[in-house]
Amino acid sequence: MENVIECRNLTHYYGRRLIYENLSFDVPRGRILGLLGKNGTGKTTTINILSGFLRPRSGECRILGEKIGEMNPLTRRRIGLLIEGHVQYQFMTIEQIERFYASFYPGWKREAYYELMGRLQVAPRQRINRMSCGQRSQVALGLILAQDPEVLVLDDFSLGLDPGYRRLFVDYLREYAKAENKTVFLTSHIIQDMERLVDDCIVMDYGKILVQMPVRELLDRFRRYTAPVGEGFVLPKTAGIRNPSVIRSTLECFSMEPEAEVRARLAKAGVTELAAERVGLEDAFIGLTGKY
Amino acid sequence: MIKAIFYKEWIKTGGYGLLALLLSTGFAGYAMLRMARVCSLKGADHLWIVMLQRDAIFVDLLQFVPLFIGLGLAVVQFAPEMYRKSFKLTLHLPLRADRAVAAMLAYGVATLAAVFLPALAAMGGYLQSILAPELWQHILWSTLPWYLAGIAAYLLTAWIALEPTWGRRLIDGAMALLLLRLYFLAPAPEAYNGFLPLLTAVTLCYGLLAMLSLTRFRDGRQD
Amino acid sequence: MWKTSKLFFWALAALLVLWQIPSCYNFFAVKPADAPFTLYSPVIGDFAMLRFDEEKRMRYTDASGREYTKEQFDSILPAFYCRQLVADGRFPDSICGRAVTLRQIQKANFNLRLSPSNLNAPQVGLQQLLESMSGRVDLTLPDDVFRITDTGIEFVRMETNQIDEEKSARFTEAMKRKGFHFPACRISGNPTARKEYDEGYVMLDAARRLFHVKQTVGRPYVRAIELPEGLVPEYLFITEFPSRRWLCFLTDTGGGFWVVERDSYAVVRTELPSFDPREESMLIFGNLFDWTVKVDRGGEKCFYALSAEDYTLLDSLTIPTPDRSWRGLRFTSPKDKFVKPRF
Repeated sequence: MENVIECRNLTHYYGRRLIYENLSFDVPRGRILGLLGKNGTGKTTTINILSGFLRPRSGECRILGEKIGEMNPLTRRRIGLLIEGHVQYQFMTIEQIERFYASFYPGWKREAYYELMGRLQVAPRQRINRMSCGQRSQVALGLILAQDPEVLVLDDFSLGLDPGYRRLFVDYLREYAKAENKTVFLTSHIIQDMERLVDDCIVMDYGKILVQMPVRELLDRFRRYTAPVGEGFVLPKTAGIRNPSVIRSTLECFSMEPEAEVRARLAKAGVTELAAERVGLEDAFIGLTGKY
Repeated sequence: MIKAIFYKEWIKTGGYGLLALLLSTGFAGYAMLRMARVCSLKGADHLWIVMLQRDAIFVDLLQFVPLFIGLGLAVVQFAPEMYRKSFKLTLHLPLRADRAVAAMLAYGVATLAAVFLPALAAMGGYLQSILAPELWQHILWSTLPWYLAGIAAYLLTAWIALEPTWGRRLIDGAMALLLLRLYFLAPAPEAYNGFLPLLTAVTLCYGLLAMLSLTRFRDGRQD
Repeated sequence: MWKTSKLFFWALAALLVLWQIPSCYNFFAVKPADAPFTLYSPVIGDFAMLRFDEEKRMRYTDASGREYTKEQFDSILPAFYCRQLVADGRFPDSICGRAVTLRQIQKANFNLRLSPSNLNAPQVGLQQLLESMSGRVDLTLPDDVFRITDTGIEFVRMETNQIDEEKSARFTEAMKRKGFHFPACRISGNPTARKEYDEGYVMLDAARRLFHVKQTVGRPYVRAIELPEGLVPEYLFITEFPSRRWLCFLTDTGGGFWVVERDSYAVVRTELPSFDPREESMLIFGNLFDWTVKVDRGGEKCFYALSAEDYTLLDSLTIPTPDRSWRGLRFTSPKDKFVKPRF
């Protein structure tokens, strides 16, 4: 399958602080990829590199086959960008902003924009800085839909949105991306939203990628295990077992390994009566990255 | 696409432009009114003699008006771009970033010209009626460095506004202050005449500095 | 574009450093050096100097170092301190063997400052020609101004901003009749009512010939002044001193300093060494007996004593005043009234 986004050996520091080293990933055409990670693991850094607002120390990224630093400006017509917080030109009204962007995109879909705007309770002459965050998110989404890009890069689309608007945004976007075979790269700090939206996920920890796979596969393989243990029990380091913790005589740990294998390895450590359960994406994320 | 950039700049600055036009012509008009008052009280010959004997030009109150108008325009035009980094939207448009910034600056300089020229024309028109060509030209030539300072203040403020880090903004600001001093060194009226062509060229080149801020912004420089 | 911008930024930064660092140093660290107050004394035949010593006390000496009291100092400079001497009852009947009165001395005293910044300055090109024989004691400013054009002299009435065609034609005609070639290349006058008398203007025409132009009883007075063979005047300085002895001083293209006597229009060269009024400033204190001429030549101040009789050089003195200021880039200069870059 053709890769629409390719990043190779990205390394970046802020001053002397390493963000990550030799990070590589691809996003194939038509897939929605979510980047998950705790604060400070480099999600925004990655988005900034992808959208051309940060030059990494080393490594390179290509979108639609073009190096980001040397991209032909016209290629940006095929890339939609949502800035963190749904930022759009605050000083424009919804009419002005539509008229402004329309002249940059030959394939501009005015109706798509106004269809979405029609559902908002805003006056055509209301300026964007007078709108709620939810309304602004719809303006930003409407503009992206009208631009009709092949690739969408969305930075923390859930920031500042209440559950209703988040759901609206997610459903609209998923339906659109799937129907039109769009490629999407996004981040969000609300992981439930991602579960409904993304096909693939990358889970980042400080300085590295923990997991990169389809969400379905992750949820199929990932299990939470609990077992009663004695007071003061400490699980020795066991291969394939992630983030073990003991709370009130109950051991909790996570693993992607086959269940039988996990049972065998834990039995060696003296843990029996193991209960396994499937988890959602949020628990999987915590299981992978830990609570701290 | 450049037209659309102009449209965006117009939305940001249209109101300010009108206000600046009122201020600029208002101050010039006030200066002319004061001269007209002197004329009616003491006769036009009093103006002539004071100009000839004391090197007075009667429009000193206009000195810093263009400077503040230029500075204000840059703030009105570029502060919204820096608000929550909306400038990223401009940079993501499908045209070369340097051309987009150049178009924004060209719009600003053209706006300032449109704000300043009516004031100069109004002064020229009135002064012609009461003063000999040597004298009214003496006055207008003496004001040109001030109007140039307005354009310089605009371009230098744009440079500072687009700069992504505060540390560097301080350094750039200090440089800008020194550069702006250059327009207010006149020991006598018309002192800049010979230097004006070079100074105008240098002033327009201040636009290049915004390109440095642009590059730093795209490189993701942070405090 | 980025490379050009970077280059431009560094060029600007370098210019600012070259401009500001020396100027800050000069402002805070350099005290301008000047020579002591110096006048030629005809009584002792030497320069007399007034200076402050390290304890900021005034000291009165002559060039050879001899000390004087304050009273002695007044006496050796009787023309300069004449009023003090009169107040002390010490004013002499004669000086250097010549009988004098206070009135004679006061009438002959003059001082003149020539500064390059007055020549190197934007000129408006409009002048006022006073009436030099109004019949009234006080002079009054006219209600018109004049300009010299390529074809004549043009008077403009200030109140109406209209050209006075009749007066312009009258003066142009008079000047042309005396051989004046328009336009004028130099013009010097002192258009103020606060002076004792008016001599109008001295002008150099396009052929560098010297003319005296004034207005007497509303009529043009034009006089072509005969110049000695080989003299090509460069700058003119009208005098209008109370003594009425001279019409003007002038410099020539070779740096010579000349006087034009008022009554005879005789043009006489002084023995002052070469002087360039565009670069050097000059201060003259003149009296009945001699002139003390101070020429500021940058790194040194030169004092010359000239005989007031025949302008021969009596004595000279050079005091070095080394300039310790840092050079760097400057935009203004005490030598002119322009703003422009200079290294």
